[in-house]
Amino acid sequence: MKLNVDERWDLIDRIAKRTLTFGKYKHTLKDALGDLTIKPLTGIPIAIAVLYGFWSIFCSFAGTLCTDGFFVKLFDGHFLPYMQRIFSNLPGWLYYILIGNPQADNCFEAFGMLTSGLFVAIGVVLPAVFIFYLMFTLLEDVGYIPRLAVLIDTVLHKIGLHGYAVVPTILALGCNVPAVTATRILETRKQRFMMMTLLAIFIPCGAQLGIMQEVIPTSMGWVLLYLLLGYFIFGFIIHKLLPGKSPEILIDVPPYQMPTFRNVRRKLWLRTSCFLKKAVPFVLVGCAIVNILYLAGVINWLSNLLSPLFVGWFGVPKETVGPLIAAFLRKDLAVAQLSVIEMTKYQMITAVVLISIYFPCIATFAMMLKEGWRELLGSLVVLATVVFVYGGLLHLIWRLLGVA
Amino acid sequence: MNRKLIQIYFRILGLVSLAFGIADILATIGGKSICLGILEVPADIFRGGWGGLVILFAGFFYLAGSRDILEVHHFSKVVMGSVLIWLIAGCDIFAMLCESIPGGEEGPWFNTLQGFFATYAPPYKPAIFLLPFSLAVVYYIHKREK
Repeated sequence: MKLNVDERWDLIDRIAKRTLTFGKYKHTLKDALGDLTIKPLTGIPIAIAVLYGFWSIFCSFAGTLCTDGFFVKLFDGHFLPYMQRIFSNLPGWLYYILIGNPQADNCFEAFGMLTSGLFVAIGVVLPAVFIFYLMFTLLEDVGYIPRLAVLIDTVLHKIGLHGYAVVPTILALGCNVPAVTATRILETRKQRFMMMTLLAIFIPCGAQLGIMQEVIPTSMGWVLLYLLLGYFIFGFIIHKLLPGKSPEILIDVPPYQMPTFRNVRRKLWLRTSCFLKKAVPFVLVGCAIVNILYLAGVINWLSNLLSPLFVGWFGVPKETVGPLIAAFLRKDLAVAQLSVIEMTKYQMITAVVLISIYFPCIATFAMMLKEGWRELLGSLVVLATVVFVYGGLLHLIWRLLGVA
Repeated sequence: MNRKLIQIYFRILGLVSLAFGIADILATIGGKSICLGILEVPADIFRGGWGGLVILFAGFFYLAGSRDILEVHHFSKVVMGSVLIWLIAGCDIFAMLCESIPGGEEGPWFNTLQGFFATYAPPYKPAIFLLPFSLAVVYYIHKREK
């Protein structure tokens, strides 16, 4: 059927009469609340409150209820002694790889593939990732994330990014792997490179956050503050040094709406299961490889070789070389390893910061390689510079404060 | 709606929220929590410092919104003040809930009934005291819609 111009206009009129309501639009309470979350004067306090809620629920659920409440008891009190008993007849080297230190009475110290590996993956990381993605999905479906993007747009423009960079940044707090993929929402090659580099260096993943909450609960705020500062300082420097464009964007802000159970459940399942498929094998294999390197004496050799850098420049014990190598496989495992090394509070903060900003974990590394080898190489150059400068700077701050 | 009365109500709530927020921040700076009967002002950097700042913001929202409460943009500020109080109090209650379920390091898997209820005993943090008063806003939202 073909309509002439008059018929088309008639059709448009009829559709408009049936679907549109004419009149003076009055701002509703929902609109006014939406405005409050976008305007900087009111939006920033609200964002601070939302982040507080996010963090508070994360710590209470993952730390207090799941890990400390049940999993530590399950793994340390029942699982570890059971594994130590049933595998007691294994040859020494295999026992060390699978079960870890025979004298250990908790899973943080054992560091075996089937003990610490499973404890970290199931007992610490799973609850942390689950609650993180649940809250992120709720914020996303309610419609708060686009508002946060608008709110933070001006700040992120200072470092050459734009408001939507908040999506990969927050996603990276769950897992860096989907966050690298999410950098594709940025327009230019420069922006994507910057985002990928910054999140690989300065954004700790949910697994790492969960372990940090267990190992250094009182110093965690300082570590995060230091990483946040690094994100903006180095973001600004990279933006000034790199050629390329950082264009403006137009963000469509949807109205606030009630999230539906079906959507939340689907997204949560998709994200958590994807994380589990990727993380659990890496944690288990990571534990095994690190134990093999220990047994072969490689880590000891590297510790001696790199001790001038670690002790002199970063101010941390040379034993931290081992966890740094483990960090390439899984950063959460590396932080767990740090917990058994004797250090001062300030050395511990430095060591955790170094692990965070050091080489991205192997899964993120693979994702970055998929985005392009040139980008990956560039990111690694930035990374090496940042580790050297930032690690040394932190040591200098402790020395100036007289605590190192 | 009795405009004057509502305005006075939320102004007082705003001032009390401001006072609680400042108390939280001062206790954090001093590094010592304050316990006054059933009220406990926390001193840790997270709950006292960060949480105190949010309560302070809630107080500002109440005060800014109570100037002309019948106007929708001002009323939204009062609603937002209450939302911030619900957020902090909700997190405090959720933290108590998470603490009350497990049986502790040396105890059984689950807490005893007595232990469970004991977790909810006072002292309470400031936001929990503000919570019932902040709920008045739900009544006014309902009344506005009517």
